[in-house]
Amino acid sequence: MDVTGQEERFRQLFAEEAEGRLATLSELLLELEAASGDAELLASVFREAHTLKGSAAVVGLGEVGRVAHAMEEILDGLRRGERAATPTLVDALLRAVDGMRELIPAALGGDDRAAEADRLVAALQEPSAAGTAPEPPEPASEAGRPAETVAAPAGGTRGGETIRVPVERLDELVRLVGEAAAAYLRVGRLLAERLGLDPAGVPELRELSRVLGDLQQRTLRARMVPFATIVEPLRRATRDLARSLGKAVELDLRGQETELDRGVLERVTDPLLHLVRNAVDHGLETPAEREAAGKPPNGTVRVHAMQLGSEVVVTVTDDGRGIDVGRVREQASKAGDDLEGVDDDEALYAIFRSGLSTASSVSQVSGRGVGLDVVRASLEAVRGQVEVRTEPGGGSEFRVSVPISMAVLPCLLVEAAGQRYGIPMHSVVTTEAAGWTEASLEGRPVIRVRDQVLPVSSLAATLGTGEAAAGPAVVVASLTRRHAFQVDALLGQREVVLKDLGRLLPRVDLLGGASVEPDGAILLVLDTSGLVERARRTAPVAGVPVPSGTAARQAPPVAHASILVVDDAPVVRELERSILERAGYQVRTAADGQEALAMLAATPGDLVITDVDMPRCNGFELTSAIRAEPQLAGLPVVILTSKADDADHRRGLDAGADAYVVKSAFDEQALLDVVARLLGGAAAVGVPSTSADGGPR
Amino acid sequence: MTRAVLLPVERDWFALPMHTLQEVVAGPMVTAVPAAPATLRGLFNVRGQIVPLLDTAALLGLGRMTAAPFAAVVQTADGPAGLATTGVPEPAELRTRIGPADSRGAVATYAAAGRIATLLDPAVLLAPNSAGAAT
Repeated sequence: MDVTGQEERFRQLFAEEAEGRLATLSELLLELEAASGDAELLASVFREAHTLKGSAAVVGLGEVGRVAHAMEEILDGLRRGERAATPTLVDALLRAVDGMRELIPAALGGDDRAAEADRLVAALQEPSAAGTAPEPPEPASEAGRPAETVAAPAGGTRGGETIRVPVERLDELVRLVGEAAAAYLRVGRLLAERLGLDPAGVPELRELSRVLGDLQQRTLRARMVPFATIVEPLRRATRDLARSLGKAVELDLRGQETELDRGVLERVTDPLLHLVRNAVDHGLETPAEREAAGKPPNGTVRVHAMQLGSEVVVTVTDDGRGIDVGRVREQASKAGDDLEGVDDDEALYAIFRSGLSTASSVSQVSGRGVGLDVVRASLEAVRGQVEVRTEPGGGSEFRVSVPISMAVLPCLLVEAAGQRYGIPMHSVVTTEAAGWTEASLEGRPVIRVRDQVLPVSSLAATLGTGEAAAGPAVVVASLTRRHAFQVDALLGQREVVLKDLGRLLPRVDLLGGASVEPDGAILLVLDTSGLVERARRTAPVAGVPVPSGTAARQAPPVAHASILVVDDAPVVRELERSILERAGYQVRTAADGQEALAMLAATPGDLVITDVDMPRCNGFELTSAIRAEPQLAGLPVVILTSKADDADHRRGLDAGADAYVVKSAFDEQALLDVVARLLGGAAAVGVPSTSADGGPR
Repeated sequence: MTRAVLLPVERDWFALPMHTLQEVVAGPMVTAVPAAPATLRGLFNVRGQIVPLLDTAALLGLGRMTAAPFAAVVQTADGPAGLATTGVPEPAELRTRIGPADSRGAVATYAAAGRIATLLDPAVLLAPNSAGAAT
């Protein structure tokens, strides 16, 4: 049947509506399983199925209406108390939801799916599904029911009206804002060149810069969606897998209100699903194994999302058996990967290499040696990273970091062989000023950066564009390796608006993106992983030239100050620890104010960085207690919190804090600068901040 | 009859259907891309848009061009691309088909304006998954 333009529009609208309703249905059904007697919840589920049936009828999708009607019948029985929402019944309803997800696009595309609809209806009407057959015994008490401790997204349903906007329109807006920012930079350059005016000294241009900066932020924000958007598939994956494996799993979801770019979230969903499935399948033990190990029978998988500066960090943690590093070494060795001399923390990263599995048996879900390498590759595609920690018998933690948006990328600008390049800031570990000392290890040039010996290459030689010059070095981290690159000069740090490179560009491993500079030139942004791989492949046995001026420069003075980090979120504690330790500080951690006070009483240390919201004793109380204790009163305190409003800021400073840093605006260098200032020294890590041509911020 | 633009590429002439041509850029400011395949000469800026400049000879398997003083920017369903030429492209009408053409992306050979030129199909020549372009 030919459809008119209007009919086509209705069908498109139905497709969008159905997608949302099916997601809601799935989520509500999972809740219903845990609270079968909740009349309000039942009414909500019924309403969704009923509305879906009505909408399907409007666009002439009778087969979808029939399945929705069969669901309604079952739900009506539940409402009238004739049936109970057993796991088997919920299974059947969820399968119907899944079936409709496939049925709707096919039916909208004109396929005859009547037989498939009949099959779904018949499955719903089977005695076991209909709740009239005896329920099979559960694999273990509570097994297969993820008991969820889900924090509702902040704000819940927001006031105000909303409209649906095609993503392409938002993408176009983002592109145009980028154009406007580039045009602003060109105007500034023109004024400087033709009229000798400093753009920063022209009030109208400053105002334009501010407005463009705001516009850029808000436009990018329009593409943001909350992490809660992907909670439903995570719940389904956990619930279905736990049920099939006979495991008791508690899914703890936190930070659902955290927002990130829709495109990034879409690309990160599959890797996260894989990590959650892995945690349930391989990480968590069976209830019997857990009890034998002295653990509670219910295992916990925690998925925690949070914004840290320009990144979103999602941790997937389980309290299972942990990863057997010995087995990782064994498997890596069989795969030809020599981990001799590599410590356990680094050896663990071999699990991300293709073809390596530590699972003793292959399951449908994982353990085939594929998966974690795909997780790594998927994350690299969105300029993300994954880190892993494990504790034998205690569980594992995978920490996924992705940029909030892919349109704007903070970069360190460098020059090599006369050409400018951007290196994504998230992969820059540190920089070494010109004059650093090159050493040789097994015939290959290395650089000593604090306690680490790292391979070093000339960036120009690695890129094949020229010879090495005696310049500074940039240490970058790819997923599994660190590598230093010697450059001609460091040009500063800047947000780079990346342009769409189209589909006709041949694949180039070293290219991460590109941007148009104010003078119309093109700035290439390097792909760190590709760069490190190429450097490893092409590293010469003879090293890059030792910088001229033979006086070997010692590593920059490293602050050995002792810093106490106080935060109840382990991931934040560990992130701060890694930043500070990389900068040469000694770091202790505490999970709340009370623990911190006990540690400070034993050893005061030199500085405290504390969160605000913590159990037992919060950050304000901790700060006040420090100021009230004569032995500690002079100790610098930095409050690092997600509480951004002015009242909290004032309260923190009133309590006696020396600095108040908001997590969403926090970046590594800003934290180190604050710490260095309070300790009365220079910043320990020397990445230059914003360059003069920083553009609208 | 096909309205076309003739592209001088080293000692050969190629032709593009006129409707596929967006513009000709003289002396494009090309940013070389390190470790790029032979088919990619670099990137250049066409009114704020970053466009790949492709080596026309390399795309056709004829070796790499010695220089690329001009770029013929073509529009395809997958976006714009520049085809490098060694001289100024010229408009022409393709009237007499001489014979078939062998290279991938080449349609047929024509006589035009006193020259022999091979008509190219940009959609095939530049297809993202073709061997010559994106892989």
